[in-house]
Parts: sequence; structure tokens; C-alpha cells
Amino acid sequence: MTTSLTIDDLRVSADGAALLRGVSIRVTPGVPLTIVGETGSGKTLVAEAAMGTLAPELSASGWVVLGGTVSDAGDRAARRHLWGRGIALLPQEPWLALDPTMRVLPQVAEGHRFVRGLGRSEATACAREDLAALGLANAATRFPHQLSGGMAQRVAVAAARAGGAPLLLADEPTKGLDAALRDAVVALLRGALQEGGSLLCITHDVAVARALGGEVMVMLDGEVVERGSAEKVLDAPSHAYTRRLLAAEPEAWAEGELPVPGAEVLSATGLSAERGGRRLFEALDLTVGAGEWVAVTGPSGCGKTTLGNVLLGLLRPAAGVVRRRGGLVRTRYQKLYQDPVATFAPRLALRTALAEAAALHGVAWSQLAAMLDRLRVPDALLDRRPDQVSGGELQRIAIARALLPDPVFLFADEPTSRLDPITQQETMAALQEISRERGLAVLLVTHDLAMARKVAGRQVTLRGA
Amino acid sequence: MGGVARALLRRGVQAVLVAVLVSGLCFTLVRLLPGDQAMRVAEGRYGYDRVTAASADAVRAELGLDRPAVEQFLAWVGRLAQGDLGVSLVTGERVVVEIAYQLGHTLLLSLAALSLALLAGPALGLFAGLRPGGVLDQAGMVGAAALRALPVFALGIGLMLVFGVTLGWLPVAGFHATENLVLPALALGLGLAAASARVARDATVAAVNAPFFGFALLRGLTRAQAVRQHVPRNAAVPVLAYLGVNLALLVEGVVVVESLFGWPGIGHALSHAISARDVPMLQGTALSLGLIFVALNAFTDVAILAADPRRRG
Amino acid sequence: MRGLRRIAARGQSPARLLGATLVGLVVLMAIAGPLLVDGSPTRQDLSAVLQPPSPDALLGRDQLGRSVLVRLVHAARLSVSLGAATVVAAAVPGILLGLLAAWAGGWTDRVLSGFGDAVLALPGLLLVLLVVALAPGAFWPLFLGLSLAMWVEWFRVTRAASGALLSAPAVEAARLLGFGPWHVLRRHVLPEMAPLFGTLAAFGFAGAVMAVGALGFIGIGLRPPTAEWGLMMVELLPYYDEAPLAMLAPALCLFALVLGLQLLAGRDPR
Repeated sequence: MTTSLTIDDLRVSADGAALLRGVSIRVTPGVPLTIVGETGSGKTLVAEAAMGTLAPELSASGWVVLGGTVSDAGDRAARRHLWGRGIALLPQEPWLALDPTMRVLPQVAEGHRFVRGLGRSEATACAREDLAALGLANAATRFPHQLSGGMAQRVAVAAARAGGAPLLLADEPTKGLDAALRDAVVALLRGALQEGGSLLCITHDVAVARALGGEVMVMLDGEVVERGSAEKVLDAPSHAYTRRLLAAEPEAWAEGELPVPGAEVLSATGLSAERGGRRLFEALDLTVGAGEWVAVTGPSGCGKTTLGNVLLGLLRPAAGVVRRRGGLVRTRYQKLYQDPVATFAPRLALRTALAEAAALHGVAWSQLAAMLDRLRVPDALLDRRPDQVSGGELQRIAIARALLPDPVFLFADEPTSRLDPITQQETMAALQEISRERGLAVLLVTHDLAMARKVAGRQVTLRGA
Repeated sequence: MGGVARALLRRGVQAVLVAVLVSGLCFTLVRLLPGDQAMRVAEGRYGYDRVTAASADAVRAELGLDRPAVEQFLAWVGRLAQGDLGVSLVTGERVVVEIAYQLGHTLLLSLAALSLALLAGPALGLFAGLRPGGVLDQAGMVGAAALRALPVFALGIGLMLVFGVTLGWLPVAGFHATENLVLPALALGLGLAAASARVARDATVAAVNAPFFGFALLRGLTRAQAVRQHVPRNAAVPVLAYLGVNLALLVEGVVVVESLFGWPGIGHALSHAISARDVPMLQGTALSLGLIFVALNAFTDVAILAADPRRRG
Repeated sequence: MRGLRRIAARGQSPARLLGATLVGLVVLMAIAGPLLVDGSPTRQDLSAVLQPPSPDALLGRDQLGRSVLVRLVHAARLSVSLGAATVVAAAVPGILLGLLAAWAGGWTDRVLSGFGDAVLALPGLLLVLLVVALAPGAFWPLFLGLSLAMWVEWFRVTRAASGALLSAPAVEAARLLGFGPWHVLRRHVLPEMAPLFGTLAAFGFAGAVMAVGALGFIGIGLRPPTAEWGLMMVELLPYYDEAPLAMLAPALCLFALVLGLQLLAGRDPR
């Protein structure tokens, strides 16, 4: 069988520390290969080694067979002439990878003109066809900022493949996209397999691997722990890590007992909100009882976060009233954020930030330390700045901070959407446990319907206007 | 394009503000100046030796200087609105006529300096930015830092002494031939060119490190092709934005450079008017420079909108 | 050269070090100079006109026989104190009003921003010129005009930067936790803006010093016999051939101070 890309015994290290320990892959035409792994597993290094874009301070060894020639994995320049011709890379967050000052059509035409060597008008005609094939005929004269995330993704695919490369390499193609767009991206990637094309996809999202099918490889700490057909690996995993990774998917979470709502802590009647003159939701009634979990779902931009902020009193509704339970101070209503780094003072040690918040609410440090310990936050981390700890650790610190005023209601705004699956599961489990103990009501905004079903007794779905 | 209309409207408001600010300050100036204003006007008209109390009174009545301040200010602004800038106290000529003569000189000088700042500076910055840390980058940036720290008048004197006097290549005064323009334009434009070179250099480095440049390479374009296709337009936006903010430096420089080289423009007339306490002339010249500033700003706004589709809204 | 690289590697750029040295030298000259160098900056000695450097006048004498060194250090004191006073007079109202506009928003912000735009409608030096025209040669209109022209820069930068900081999630989280405005200012706003203020101060200082020199040079700012660098240059310009050092010295001082400030400031905040 012919292969379009073979990597043999790839080893990458930085200052003597091994990052990849002998990874081999083989991509064949028509069969997608998906590498699944968490942050730090080394999966992106495989893509960079294939292209020859590894950072100069990394040392690499092994062999890459691409476009019929064999080259040393450490030789970065060896595969430079194949970029666009033999191998095309779909970048992460493609809306940043398009030139903001240039219209879509000429950007796609560049590949035809400069890589395939066509004349200017011929190249433009080809680019027009490419865009039409992806349903973007109307977007040809737009600028990148006038495209939606999904459209930008399609334009990037058209631009990346214009040079005629048979192999498409996609690095985290669903990063920053919500679930609804994920399926469209998968369909787009499968399109690359037509006419003898091949696909190598790198993702942290098991759902993407399942949807793509073909071959799957699971990576952990720079090693491949399991590989095989998608059905075999995802339905009958043999390695413990793969099983854990699959168990961390919200669909696989245990069906726990959902808490019974207690006394009402917050109620809203006839709520409406607008953004930029556009109605987000209208005449919404909502009551949240102690210990209850309410999930808010809906497509991006539909006003999920706005609803939570209105309930907290951070935004004024266009109409309607929000009532908190009488006699409770406002600080008993707290919020968790999607990106916890942005919620701490950037230059302040976490210990100082926490100590000041604890002092404000008369909580003894020992009490706070016990909570941090329970959330498995090592004490030594507290001497770092917020940007020096991992996203999962910081979110747990943010939970400990939000618990200081002894809240009765917590608005959790996509608190785990930037975390790896296993960290996400652990974080949600900790939050559920604390909520149960304290009777803390949680309003969870999420785009993950499976997660919403597993944790919340009630769901509010916003349709968007 | 709605963006252009909005920008021009904003600059229109700015032009009105300039007029109000300048006339208000000049009016205050007239009232604060020591001595009898009518007497000074009369002196300006008839000469020191022939002025009498009667002629001063006539002037006072004619200009309405005996009426309340508010009424006087309204009359003052009213005349301004009709385009009547009054008569120079020094020459006795109408201010409008004087400025009409000076305007061409000032525009010539400013545009010469501006083209230096817009062509030479960014071109140098672009090449320096393509090889950050290279010889051109390091030498160019040291030169640019030195030029930015040199006050316009010191630079002007330096140019004058080196190229005009010591080497004798270029004339240091006069304003009729093209070579007369070289030294004043250099004195006025070099500082701005240095600053825009610096901005262009940083913008070029930013463009080359931007994801869209990397993507262009990954799509198979050569580095030269990627630079040609994606760097100049992206680097132009910050350069234009910087220039827009720093046009004030150009207008300020005009006053100094024209005075130094005896260039018969509006800036030169302005500094004369202040020394001579010639308020009508001061108002006229300050107003003209202010409006030139607004006009240049408007041009920059439109240029930025043309270069950056994101701002067109 | 290797020493410089090591400094650069430690995160302290050699440019900044050079800038600090230059500014330090000129400020030292302004503070200690008049104490170390005896004599009055206006005492003439018509028998020693344009005298070359000698033990009692190390940089020679000017066209009226005054010691160039004595005048130089007094001019340094003038420029440095005027620059520093202007920075303070522009920074204090600019920062306070900028914070107020960002915090209050609404009409307060609109009125203050409109006022700022009105001042910016005119190029700064033109505004200074018109104010200076009120009383040419005096110190106070120069100070007033410069402060009036420069506070807007502080106002706008403070308003924009603190506005962005105040609307960030960190401040929202702090308010939700019950922290008051003082905590927000102390922990979230001021520490982030401190570097920006440093840059603005250095650029403002440099701008003020250059403006004073330029105004003296075109004969509108301070007047003879005041010792001022720009004024000294224009007075000595006709004698550049006989006394080049005397004319060059004030230019060098001004250049060193402005270059030092710009290197110290780093990037232009605008």
C-alpha cells in the first residue's frame, strides 16, 4: 500500500529532557489518521516535525518519508520545498491566519499563482471555483473580519490546499469552536480525502476522532500508548489511559443522583436582554433553589453569559426583575469564569490575592488552606503568579476563592471548556461535591449538551435571535 | 463608505473647535495686553509720530473697542465667520492677503517634509525590519534614535552649518529656487522620517511574526513572495496611525524651521506676529496652521481607512 | 561589549542603562552645577568677548564675555525644573480626570473627553505659543501653556488604559467578591499602569525641554539675558566660526537630555 507520510522513530528533546520518545506514524491515502492526546502529550510536535517547523532549540532525530523522499527529522529545511505542494497545514484558529487587510479571493488565489505557477487570471478563476465548492461563492470579496468562525475555517482550508498538496495536516481544528461547528469541520476535513488525498488530524477531542473514523493514535507523555482503527481504539480500548480518556467524556460520566432543589435562592420573572440593539432572550422566568444545578445551553452568541450576568446584577435587563433571597448580601452570589487567568491581578502572587480575599470575608487562612488541599492545589503553587500555573490548577484556586464569601449561588460560565478532558471531569466532580455539601446552587453555562444533561437537573436552552 | 464620512465629520468639528479656540485666545490676548489697544492700532496705521488721541478714538469707535466684552467677542467671531481676519498692525495689509501669499510656501515645505517622512522613512524601516538585528537594522535604529532626540532647530543649524557653510553645497537662505527648499525640508522632515522608520520597522517585524505570514509560507509561498503580498499593507497601518498622531510635530516644526531659514511662510509670520504683538496677524496665522493641521489629519484618516478594512465598519 | 550583552540578557537593555546615565548626568549638572561652578550667568566681561576656554571659564566666554559653563549649568537647572514641574502639573490632573472619566463613564466621561479633544484640536506648540504671547519672556505662561497642552496626553492614556482594566474580568471578580474601589485601584489598575506612566513622564519631560528650547530659539519663550539652551544657541549662532564650542555645548546638553529620556522611556506609548 502506498503511504503519503511516514515518520519513523521520531525523538525530540529539549535540554536533554525527552519530549517525544520514538513515535512512528504512517498515513495512507483515503484513511484519516487522528492523533489524540492532552496538552503536553507531544502531539503537536509530531506535526511540527513532519513540516520541519520545530523550534530551533529542540533537537530531533528519526526519519520522515514525504513526497517520495526520505529526510532526517532534525533537518528542518529538507521539507520546506514541499510546503503547499506535498503537505498542507491547516493552522489553529484559522481566523488569525488570514491576512486581515486582504480580501478572501486573492488569498486563496495565491496558492494557485505562486505555488502552482498559474497566470493571475487563471489563478483567480481557480480560487473562485475552490470557494464555490465550499459554499463560499458569496464570500469571495469579503475581508477576513467579515467572516464567521466556520467560514474562516473553510477559507483557510481552501487557501491551504490551493497549492495542490495531497496531504492535509490539521492541528486542533476545532479549537475555539462550539459543538455545532465541530461537525461541519469534520465534514470539511473528510472532504480532503477525496481524489486520493490524505489527512492527519491532531486533537484533544475524542469526539472529533470518533467522527472522522479511520485510524486513531493515543499519545501520553511523548509516547504512543495505543493505536488502531477508530472502532477498536474507541470502543474497546486496551490501554488504561485510553480508557480513562474515554471515561472523561461527558457522555460517559456516571449518572449521579441529581440534587433536590432546596429553598429558593434566586428568581427572575419576565427577563429580556439585548445586545447591540438585538434581542437575546425575552420573557424568561427562572427560579433556582439551594443546591440545584441549572444548565444554560445554546449556540454561541445567543446570550448565555448575558443571562448569568443579569442574574448576578452585573448587567441590567431590558425588562423584568431579578430577586435574590431576602437578607443575603450580594457577595453570596459568585461567579466562575471561562478563563481564570484574566480574573486575577496579573503581577500579584496568588497567596497574596487569596489572603486579601480571605481577610475581607473573615475566613481564617487555615480554613482556606484546608479547602485548597481538598481541591488538590499544592501549597507551593500559591507563590506563583496566575500565568505561571496551569489552567486546571488556577480554576480550582478560583473555586476556592469564590467559596470564601460562603455563596448560595454560583454562576459558572463555561468553567471547564479550556481544560483537558480528564482535568475537566475532575474539576466538575469537585464542584458537584462541594455544591452538595453546602447546598450551593450552580447556574452552568456550557456548549456541551452531554455535560449539561449529566450534571444539571434542569436546562434552559436559548435559541438565539 | 460610512467610515470616511464619519471621519470627515469629526474633522469638521475639530476645525470649528480650532477656530473657536484660536479666536478666543486671541481675543483674551487683546484684552490682556498692556496699553491702549486703539492707540496701538492707530500707531500701526498712521505711524508713531502722527498718531493723536483723536485718531485713537476714531479707531476705538470703528472697531467697537468701547463696547462691552461679550458684544466685542461676538462681533470678533462674526467678522471671523465672514472670512474677515482684519488688518495687520505692522504692515497695514489685510491679513487674508498676507496669508494667501505665505500659504503656498508653507504647503510646499510641509509636503516636501511629509513625503520624506512617508517615503524614505518607511522604506528604510521595512528593510531594517525584514532583517531584525542586521547591520542596516542596528545602524538605522541608532541613527533614528539620534534624529528623534535632536530638536528641530538644532538639526536645522547643524544642516545649515555643514551643508550650507562648511561644504557650501546648498544655499542656507532664500526661497526662489528648488535647492533653497532642500535644507528646510530636511530639517523639518528628518525627525518625522526617523520616527516613521522606527514604527515601520516594528510593524514589519510584527507582520513577519504574525500568523498570516507563517501561514503564507506554509502554503508554499517563498519568503520574498510572502513579504511582497502581505507585509507592506499590514505595516502601513501603524505607520499612518503614528503619523496621524504626530502631525502636530510637523506643524510645530514649521514655525521653527521657517523662522530659522527665513522661509516666508505662515510659521515665520506667526513668530513675527507674536514678537510684534500683531494680534490680527497672530490670529490669522495660528488659525491657518490649525486648519492645515486639521486638513492633514483628515487626509491621514482617509488613508488609514483605505489601508485597513477592519476600520471601515 | 560582552558586558553589555550580559546586561541585555538579564532583561535590562543597554539602551535603557545609557538613557539613565545621560539623564542622571544632566540632572546632576542641574542640581549640583550652580553650586560647584562659581559666578553669575549674567555677569558680562566685555574685555573677554568670545574668549576660548581658560581656567576661569572652562568652556570659554560668549559674545558678551559671560562664562559659557556657568550659563550652561543655570540653563540646565531651568530646563530640568521646568520639565519636571510641567510633568507633575500635567500628570496630576490628567491621571485623576482620566480615572474619573473611566470610572464614572456616561456624561462625566463625555464632557471630560470633549474638553480633551478641544485642547488637542490645536497642535500643542501652537497652544503654548498663544498662551506665551500673553506675557512673552515670563516663566509662568511657559509653564502654564506647556501643562495645558500636555495634560490631555495623560488624560487620554489614563482613560483608555484604566477603562480597559476596569472592564476586565479581574475587576468584575474583585467587585463580586466585595472589594471596594480603593482595592481595585491599588491591586488592578495602578500596578498595570505604572510602566505606562513612567514612559509618559519621560516623553513629556523630553517634549517640554525641547519646546522650551525651540521657543527660546525663535525668540518667543524666555528672553535675554536668561540662560536657556535654545536662546544661547541663537545668540551664539553668528559667532559659530570664532566660538564653535560655545554654540555646540548647549545643543549637546539638550541632545543628551532628550536622548537619555527617550532611551529611558523605551517605546512611544502612542
